[in-house]
Amino acid sequence: MTTTTSTQVVIADSLTKRFGSVLAVDSLSFALAPGTITGFLGPNGAGKTTTLRMLLGLAKPSSGTASIFGRPYPELARPALRVGTVLEAADFHPGRTGRDHLRMLSRAVSLPDARVDEVLRLVELDAAAGRRVKGYSLGMRQRLGLAAALLGDPELLILDEPANGLDPEGVRWLRDFLRAFATGGRTVLISSHVLAEVAQTVDQVLIINRGRLVVESSLEQLTARVGGSVRVRTPERAKLQQALQQERIESTAVNEQGLLVHGASSEKVGDLAFEAGVPIHELVAEGSSLEDVFLELTAEPQP
Amino acid sequence: MIAQTRAELLKIRTTRTTAGIVLGMVALILLFSLLSGLLTKAPNLTSTEDQRGLLSVGSLAGVFSALAGIMLVTNEYRHGTIRPTFLFTPRRSQVIEAKLASGLLAGIAFGVVGEGLGFAIGYACLASRGIDYALNSGQTTLLLVGTLAGVALWGALGVGIGTVVRNQVGSIIGLLAWGFIAENLLFAFVPSIGRFAPAHASDALIGLTTTHLLPAAAGGAILLAWTIAFALTAVTLTAHRDVT
Repeated sequence: MTTTTSTQVVIADSLTKRFGSVLAVDSLSFALAPGTITGFLGPNGAGKTTTLRMLLGLAKPSSGTASIFGRPYPELARPALRVGTVLEAADFHPGRTGRDHLRMLSRAVSLPDARVDEVLRLVELDAAAGRRVKGYSLGMRQRLGLAAALLGDPELLILDEPANGLDPEGVRWLRDFLRAFATGGRTVLISSHVLAEVAQTVDQVLIINRGRLVVESSLEQLTARVGGSVRVRTPERAKLQQALQQERIESTAVNEQGLLVHGASSEKVGDLAFEAGVPIHELVAEGSSLEDVFLELTAEPQP
Repeated sequence: MIAQTRAELLKIRTTRTTAGIVLGMVALILLFSLLSGLLTKAPNLTSTEDQRGLLSVGSLAGVFSALAGIMLVTNEYRHGTIRPTFLFTPRRSQVIEAKLASGLLAGIAFGVVGEGLGFAIGYACLASRGIDYALNSGQTTLLLVGTLAGVALWGALGVGIGTVVRNQVGSIIGLLAWGFIAENLLFAFVPSIGRFAPAHASDALIGLTTTHLLPAAAGGAILLAWTIAFALTAVTLTAHRDVT
């Protein structure tokens, strides 16, 4: 750990937050490597938002430390140029236009108004930029929040429940956007209370429950842990099996077109088939799904 | 600090609330100036003190600059924009200092408009009714400069009040209840203490000579002291409070 410390983008070290007698975050430690997309998961009230607030210097930890790019967030010079954040969809004055919201933020870090128009185009909000935010849909507000996060062209994005209120098209747009963002070696931390929402986006997951880290693993490992299988129907069964074998994924043929894939997510199987150019007629996750495991890991202990 | 102040000034300019506050100020000063300038009987407008009362109606702008200052802070907490504000400028003292400076600058603008309007109407009323202007140049200067300084300081004081209280309705009610009720009661019953209260300090600053008021310079110093006290409290509290 010590040898890699300097290269980690985000480090949480025994972060703890107490509100009176309630332990909201309990000795949470994790590190994010550059170029990764990490899902920060847990049910509502697990301590996700409190953790993000401590990472960003909005709340003081009761004990433990958080650093971003090697320093506590408030000590970074003009942190908005390195870290982009979307905390909640509601952080706008309803009477201010979308453009003015971005302009007031860009002024604070001396960015030109031209940058405001750039990010508005990037999130496809340029047409609505002159309207007051109170007329925006939830999806538009999410995109305005994302535009604010992108103003400084950051290397790290921290998003708190960004998929809330997005329609399926918006979720897909966000997924593609984040994928493209991370391919350039940039890093994303994305929180959600629904694993399925981010399963297709993230490389690794941090799952917390009642303020404690319960799982830190790659999505692949988590999927293997599921132990479920994926049933596939394809006219090119042999070709798909070959592609799976190259990724060391086991599968058994069940009939002429049917295949049962073990220890891989349906997302992974679908992606591999696509890369191999294999047409898929049916793709079904069987047994316990990722969501089942997530619910199991984050369940309230039975009395 | 300069960048943040530019951001804060933009915040003031880009909400309709500010336009509403300015309109309210203009309407109220217009109304009071015209009423007292036209309806007061001529013999009651001849003394220096009478005319100073008429010509200082514009100092009501202080209430509105304080409201604008309160809004500059409480709007951010009410609508959650304080989070992006602190994420873009995590040294919170810089944000509060920029807001104080912006409150002061907005206060100067309010003062110029409010006092300009009040003085012009009052003066025009006197002239049109053939009443001789009774203030000497020193008194006129004190009235104009004192009003401007007072209204500007109330803008910063509003920022301080809004930061300490944070709740928008609470701040506004607190300001009005204190300025129009509590402080008047205090001054009426315990003038030796009441004259050190901020609204009566600003009355003294513009040259009003009501019994028990402090001399103008002392009034200005006391109002400045109140502003600094609130500013320091605001910076200190903001540094230590979590943002939820």
